[in-house]
Amino acid sequence: MLSIKNLYAGTEDKEILKGIDLEVKAGEMHAIMGRNGSGKSTLSNVITGRDNYLISNGSLKLNSKSITDWTPEKRSLEGIFMSFQYPVVIPGVNNTYFLKAALNSKRKHEGKKELDSAGFLKVIKEKLKELDMDMKFLQRPVNQGFSGGEKKRNEILQMLTLEPKLAILDETDSGLDIDALKIIADGVNNYRSKNNSFLVITHYQRLLKYIKPDFIHVLIDGKIVKSGGKELALDLEEKGYNWLDS
Amino acid sequence: MNASELQIEFEKIISRDYFSDKVKPIREKAFENFTSKGFPNKKLEDWRFTNLSRLYRNSFVISNKNHNNPIGVNLKKFHIQDVYTIVFVNGHYNTKLSDKINGVQLMTGLEYFEYKNTSTDCLSNCPFELLNTAFMDSGLSIVINKNQTLDKPIRFLFVASDCENIMISPKINIDCGENSFFTFLNHFVGDSSHFFTNSSISCSLEKNSSMRHIKIISDSKNGIIFNKINVQQKQNSRFDFLQFCYDSNLSRTKIETRLDGEGAECSLNGLSLSRKNQQLGTHIVTNHFTPNCWSNQNFKNILLDNSSGIFNGKTVVHKHAQKTDSQQSNKNLILSKNALMNSNPQLEIYADDVKCSHGSTTGALDEDALFYLRSRGLNLIEAKKLLIRGFAIELFEELKHEPTKNFIIDKFESWLMNNAA
Repeated sequence: MLSIKNLYAGTEDKEILKGIDLEVKAGEMHAIMGRNGSGKSTLSNVITGRDNYLISNGSLKLNSKSITDWTPEKRSLEGIFMSFQYPVVIPGVNNTYFLKAALNSKRKHEGKKELDSAGFLKVIKEKLKELDMDMKFLQRPVNQGFSGGEKKRNEILQMLTLEPKLAILDETDSGLDIDALKIIADGVNNYRSKNNSFLVITHYQRLLKYIKPDFIHVLIDGKIVKSGGKELALDLEEKGYNWLDS
Repeated sequence: MNASELQIEFEKIISRDYFSDKVKPIREKAFENFTSKGFPNKKLEDWRFTNLSRLYRNSFVISNKNHNNPIGVNLKKFHIQDVYTIVFVNGHYNTKLSDKINGVQLMTGLEYFEYKNTSTDCLSNCPFELLNTAFMDSGLSIVINKNQTLDKPIRFLFVASDCENIMISPKINIDCGENSFFTFLNHFVGDSSHFFTNSSISCSLEKNSSMRHIKIISDSKNGIIFNKINVQQKQNSRFDFLQFCYDSNLSRTKIETRLDGEGAECSLNGLSLSRKNQQLGTHIVTNHFTPNCWSNQNFKNILLDNSSGIFNGKTVVHKHAQKTDSQQSNKNLILSKNALMNSNPQLEIYADDVKCSHGSTTGALDEDALFYLRSRGLNLIEAKKLLIRGFAIELFEELKHEPTKNFIIDKFESWLMNNAA
């Protein structure tokens, strides 16, 4: 699914990722853990194709195709999704309109018929229910006036709607109370299947109580310094990151 | 356009036999006052940014009777359902193209002055308002009676067509009687290679009356369109104004409102879309004279290419206007490196118990929002359009008359389609 080899990347004036190797196969869930400033968000930005990030070396492939030249929209249409750490407020654009435009863009790309309002509503109602979200979410402008938890639920709603192959959850647990965390974890767990993969980026192991990754990688100063199974999260909880510093 | 050219045109207009002699002294007085004042210059605060050279560069002439035919303009393009439309072509009321309106008092300027037993203002401080009075050639006055409610809006459609370098000077008076309700549309279009529409409208709202005024400037690529709007409000009256403006070479709207009765409310809103080297400007003075009044100014510009915009908005809270509640906002979206916005929101407060706010922002599209939308599969152009639409849409929500709303949204969408890509 996702294959990263010897990846060096950063902003124009600073190299942040210093040789990342990561292989995420279909059906797998990988967690990237690390302190602030270790390069976690840079990694997700580089995968999703944000401007201002430059790749200086290495390769980044989705299903064996290099994606480094793809626009963010192309990456999305090909199945990459990111749940944002800080979902963006878009005044004046209502959530229905936005979600429908996004879904139809994807359907069009897949050669499917675009959905009309009724068809879209049918799809979205089901997903809303799954996340215990009210219909009135749809009428509000995208993320405007949403609480932290509502914003994150709205991200997961988009994930369920767009059905990505690779979902990146960037600090999805930050700013969530325990109830919201459970709802989101249920949404993620229900979506997990042998066909799609997850990259969970997180600071703490709180989320990992509810979402069980197959592999955990520790990122320090732009490099993966340790990889292991879910037990690694417990080690980190206990010992912090310092024991891994070289 | 210079003073001696105007003098020639002025002599032409006062010699026209189809204008009543009774109007002649009004014209002469206004022209005399205009001449002594002269054209404004950039030293005046309110004229600092207006590019008047475009006006001075051309000479404009008044039209004559046989210019009453909109040859090049497809009026169907401007059809709005469920609206009475009165068409003025090059400054002439065109009865053939206009709807018949029953149940409303429509008067010519002269009839109106006689009805009011008054004369029009020849002493204005605004040179272009004086010029409008000196050259007034079209427009009608509307009197809405006490307790009268008009369900269907009335639109005046001013068309400049097939006449080069023409100057049109519509003058409109609107009286809203006590407890009345009325929606008025003022629409300016033109296809002539150069034209100058210099209009003036005075609205007087009696106690408990409500007027909605929608002003549209569209399809006037080579037009210079000036518009002076005076509003006088008595107690508990409500004035709602929305301006939608695009594709005019140079436009300047000057609004002066007087809240002169407790509980009066005045909401002024506008969206201007500019491209190429167009300049669209809005200048406002909202005067609060009495306590417990509410006012709002919300204007937005979207600017492309080398275009520029002006927002010069002022709210004055006079000494006795305690408990005034007033907001002022000017937000601008700049979509090109070379576009320029001059924003100058001002507050002048002479009372001590008021709630007033003002603010202005000017910037490009939000990069984070663009990336967010693209990361959901929308391409760059779609994402831009969505954000631009989101920026503008709140203003359309104010529109209560559905066909007018749809008309404006259609025009906005096609502008977006043709220009935002």
